[in-house]
This record gives sequence, structure tokens and C-alpha cells, in this order.
Amino acid sequence: MKSYFDITGDGGSQVVAQVEAQQQAIADALAGVRYKLAVASGKGGVGKSTMTMALARALRHEGQKVAILDGDFNGPCQARLAGLETAPWIPGERGLALPHNREGIGVLSFGSLLPEARPLEFDSVAQGDEQTWRATREFATLAQLMAGVDWGTLDVLLFDLPPGAERTRQFAQFLGADTVFVLVTIPSDLSRGVVARSISALESSDTRVLGYVENMAGYYCRGCSEVRPLFPASAIELPIPCLGAIPFDPELAASGDRGEATPPDHPAAVEIAKTARQILESLNASTSSQS
Amino acid sequence: MKFLCVSCDEPMKLQSAKPPEDGSINALFSCPTCSHQIAMLTNPHETQLVQSLGVKIGPGEAAAQGDGAESMAARAEAGGCPFSGMIAEMESRDGGVTWTEDALARLERIPDFVRPMAKQGIEHYAKTNGHALIDDAVMEEARGRFGM
Repeated sequence: MKSYFDITGDGGSQVVAQVEAQQQAIADALAGVRYKLAVASGKGGVGKSTMTMALARALRHEGQKVAILDGDFNGPCQARLAGLETAPWIPGERGLALPHNREGIGVLSFGSLLPEARPLEFDSVAQGDEQTWRATREFATLAQLMAGVDWGTLDVLLFDLPPGAERTRQFAQFLGADTVFVLVTIPSDLSRGVVARSISALESSDTRVLGYVENMAGYYCRGCSEVRPLFPASAIELPIPCLGAIPFDPELAASGDRGEATPPDHPAAVEIAKTARQILESLNASTSSQS
Repeated sequence: MKFLCVSCDEPMKLQSAKPPEDGSINALFSCPTCSHQIAMLTNPHETQLVQSLGVKIGPGEAAAQGDGAESMAARAEAGGCPFSGMIAEMESRDGGVTWTEDALARLERIPDFVRPMAKQGIEHYAKTNGHALIDDAVMEEARGRFGM
């Protein structure tokens, strides 16, 4: 009797071919993107979204054409961080036109369509039991968005990813080996431990992890003009390079809430700019070494 | 998933697939050698899992040959817009806005799976900016305002 692998195709629907066609459509849509950069962590609440937008702004300041795809469907923040929470999705020349904020950063986020207190709800013929299909539906939606937006020509497309070490690996597998990851942590043992777990999870894939960014790495004391620690020194060493240490700065959160950039002379903005330059150098160096 | 006619040792071919009724897909397969037929009936959880892949279930290999956003959108039609329930609730927020034919035709350029959601977003934009009629000019205004 024939086995599954003796039979070509699947009898009619060609589901595998449809999935392959989706992947080709994504590749076509992103053909003008030079670097794909995913900002992840594993740990929630460490400032991934804030850091994604801050890095995008700093890269833009370096003259790069940048866009962000908000991959956190259950907590989409990028629209507000960009000042695009009222930007409608408009037909472009090819698929959806990409909204840009005042600084010229393209942002696609469900936060532009959903009221802030409203969760994203998918239709389902199953009664409840979202745990059985929701993750699959979200990845399919992400694929459709990646293929359906007119991304144009970009130097860097950043992905703001949701928390969870295992989710980070799933996104790495979904986005493919040409997407480079940067992980965000805060200095606590708890956060660094989770990020260490994410690094281990990513080791089993072909994903390249550039390094980590330490957010809330002390606070800038205006009284003594020094950065002082917010957390006890952590004993957990992370086996990837530290790309930057960003001091806690209330203005970073306040300006983000307003959808504006942090003034460039603020300590956090200065460090973010250095970090973005280092990331850019690493990306360019990897391209040079491959060519 | 593949089906094999055990008597003939031949893979069965999909003849038809009815859209989900009460959450169940009814897919009819037949053996090309002996014409024996079977029906695959999915439960709602199985149907939802397949729909969650964003693929189309049905005969016709041509559906799988295309690429690009347009054909992806066509395939997604199997499940329709995955947000229709949520959008129906949100629409009450922006009632009283009408569309010109040209503007509606332009909306067709948006991939199907997010078209209703995008439509609702444009209506919200129009209403909050004092437009009772959505035409090309309103969409151009929005494109200009948001650098699209």
C-alpha cells in the first residue's frame, strides 16, 4: 500500500503549494528591503516596543529608510509610539499603502485600526478554545500583511515582536534566517534569565542574534550628573554582545506616549543613537563579509 | 492530509468542498480508478485550524498556482475576513458615512482579509474629519496626511 510520501499533491486543494505561494508572495513584497531586524526579548515589560521605535528613529536620523511591522497583535503599540493611531489603512499602488509618521518612518500596526482598549478578535467557527488555533491564525495574518503591504524600498524593516521565549523562536522560524534578531532586557536577574532562555531557544535555529540592548540600565541623576543603578548587579552573563545600555529616562516614556521622539540631548536618546549606529555597523559588516 | 483508495492503492481526488456550515467542511473525494467515493466531514475545531492557515480548501489546482497579494487574498476568501464579527460591532461607531462608487472600487485594491477593517478605518477617519461622503479626494487627503 502506498505511503503518504508516495503520493504527489494532496488530492486537490494543494495546501502545501498554497503555503509555498504565500512564502513567495512575502519574498516578492519584501524584495526591496535590505535588512530585516526583529526586536524581541522573551520577557514582557522590558521596553521592546519603545526600543523598537527609538531604534527606528535613531536609524532614520542616520539617513536610513526604515519601517516597522508591529507583530504584537495582542498589544499593538507602534501606532501610538509613531503618532499614527488615527492613520487609516488606504489602498496603495500595490496592496496597502504604508502610513508614515512626521519623521518618515513607515509603521503598520493594528493599533491604527483598533481603539486602544479593544482586543483583536478573530472570527471562529469553533466555539471558544482559541488556544487550539489562535497562534496559527496570527502567523497567517502576519504572513498576509507582509505580502499585502507596499513596503517599497527600505534599508531596515524592524519587527516588534511579542514576549515569550518559545514565541521568539517561532517568530525566528517564521521570519527566516535572513532576519537578524536583537534582544532587549533590563538589568534584573529575572529578565536576564528569561533572555538567556530566549538565546538558548534561538540557538537551535539558523537565526543570527546580533546582541542585546540593556534597557533601564540605571537612571540619570540630574543632581550629580551620573548614571546610578536601578537594579542590583546581575550574576547572569549573557553569551551575546551588549549593543548598548540605555539609562531609564522618564522622557523616553512620556515622549513615546505622545508619539514623539525623545529630545536628542537626553541621556537615553544619546545612548540609543550609539546603539543604533552599532547595530547598523554590524548589519553592514555582515553584508560586506558575505559579498 | 491525503486519502488512499485501499482497494486500488490509488490516491483519491478531491471532487468538491462545501463551505463550512455550522463550522463543518464537507469534502467529497473519489477514486479515479474505481470511482469509490468518501466524504470527509470536519468538526468545527478542525475547520478553524485549516482556516487559520489562510488557505483555500477546494478542487482546482489553479488556485494554488498564483502568487502575489491578489491571489493570496483570493485564497483567503475561503475563510473571508477573519475580523468580521469585531468589525460589525465597531461599525456602529461610524454610521452615516457613504461611499462613492469610485472610492469603493479603489478599496478593492486592498487585500480581502483586511478590506472590511480598512474600510471601517477609513470611515472612522472620514467621520472624525467632518466628511460625510468618502470619495477619492478623502482618500488622497488621508494619504497625504499620513505620508502614504
